Amino acid sequence: MADKDFSEILAAEFISVTGGLLAGIGLAFMAGKISLIPGLFILIPGFLEMRGNLSGSMSSRISSGLFLGVLKPSMRDRIIKSNMLATAILVVVISLVLGIIAYASSLYFFGIENFSIVIISVIAGMVSLSMTPLTVYTTIWIFRKGHDPNNIMGPYVTTLGDFVSVFAFMIAIAVVS
Amino acid sequence: MNIDKKFIGIHKIKRSRHHNIIHHIHKKHKLSYMTIFYMKEYGTKSHAASTIIKESIKILVLASILSSIGGLGIENMKDKFLAIMPLIIMLPALNDMIGDYGTIISSKFALMIYTGKVKLGRGIFASSHMRILIRNVFLIAIISSIYVGAVSYGLSYMQGFAFDLAIFAKVMGISVFCTMALVSIIFLVSVASGIYVYKRKEDPNNFLVPITTSIADFGSMLLFSFLVIRLF
Repeated sequence: MADKDFSEILAAEFISVTGGLLAGIGLAFMAGKISLIPGLFILIPGFLEMRGNLSGSMSSRISSGLFLGVLKPSMRDRIIKSNMLATAILVVVISLVLGIIAYASSLYFFGIENFSIVIISVIAGMVSLSMTPLTVYTTIWIFRKGHDPNNIMGPYVTTLGDFVSVFAFMIAIAVVS
Repeated sequence: MNIDKKFIGIHKIKRSRHHNIIHHIHKKHKLSYMTIFYMKEYGTKSHAASTIIKESIKILVLASILSSIGGLGIENMKDKFLAIMPLIIMLPALNDMIGDYGTIISSKFALMIYTGKVKLGRGIFASSHMRILIRNVFLIAIISSIYVGAVSYGLSYMQGFAFDLAIFAKVMGISVFCTMALVSIIFLVSVASGIYVYKRKEDPNNFLVPITTSIADFGSMLLFSFLVIRLF
């Protein structure tokens, strides 16, 4: 069991880190635009993390329920649907909070007022909502295949979250500018 | 919920043990306490979505504040950061990797508590499952941090960034040191807060993942910024 855990975590981590490096290349290409928007570097870590936090918690809750036999491994399960709804509401609320924090910190610490950062954050949050059903589906699929979703879903959601977040930022920046 | 003033004191008492009916259900239906606990949190008569939002929102706002502080570190030295390409490429991977360990450690620890693989009364490290988890995570952390440092430099080199042994060594050092230091902190925080949350009869999953990933994010950004300022 320990060896299975080791190989599952290592394989998932390898994929996650490679995905993160590819997202880093995307960030390097966007560096010119990012440097022109004050406060965006304040927003980026929180935004990248938010997707991992929310999807990671959701996946972990669902995994616990599946292992305990309380949830059915189906997208139509009532508690699974409630999890998706709660995650969607939290994504929008936390995107707004992150935008406000970035705006306020930029104004307070650097004396730069840039309200568009709040709009960028909320738009990017809404674009990234597409990740939620995909995360649930993958958790159920991994469970059905006989693997432990806890070993795989953490790296999976952060990798997917990075791609979706960088893509969402691109769209949000394009919409605002 | 409207509570009569004379009952407010009773309402504020923290839950420290299971309700009597839980013992009755456990005996009658032969369900484990863990299953009943999960049913209490998200069962058919509960509003699962509002329970999740209510339990998660505070910690998520805290996580947002912490990671924004980490972001301030990067914003503050963004000129230096943008000049060294391996650092830009490394940032999301490093951030992810440390966050991943936060999610893996906390979700596996939460499951160990639920399923009784870790007995809180006997001490956490008495559990062989816990010791194996620590060994596996540290070993994988070393391998993947070396991989991140080397590949981010390799990708930068392919994009035209010049090879310099001193810069390469610094990039590798940042990757390995950030990872190992933060994985150690995440383990300590996961165990301490996991026990605390579980003893309050709440679901550790709603607290541990956000708190460990925000520590990973906040810590990695601050440590990363500090090392970049010191080394470059």
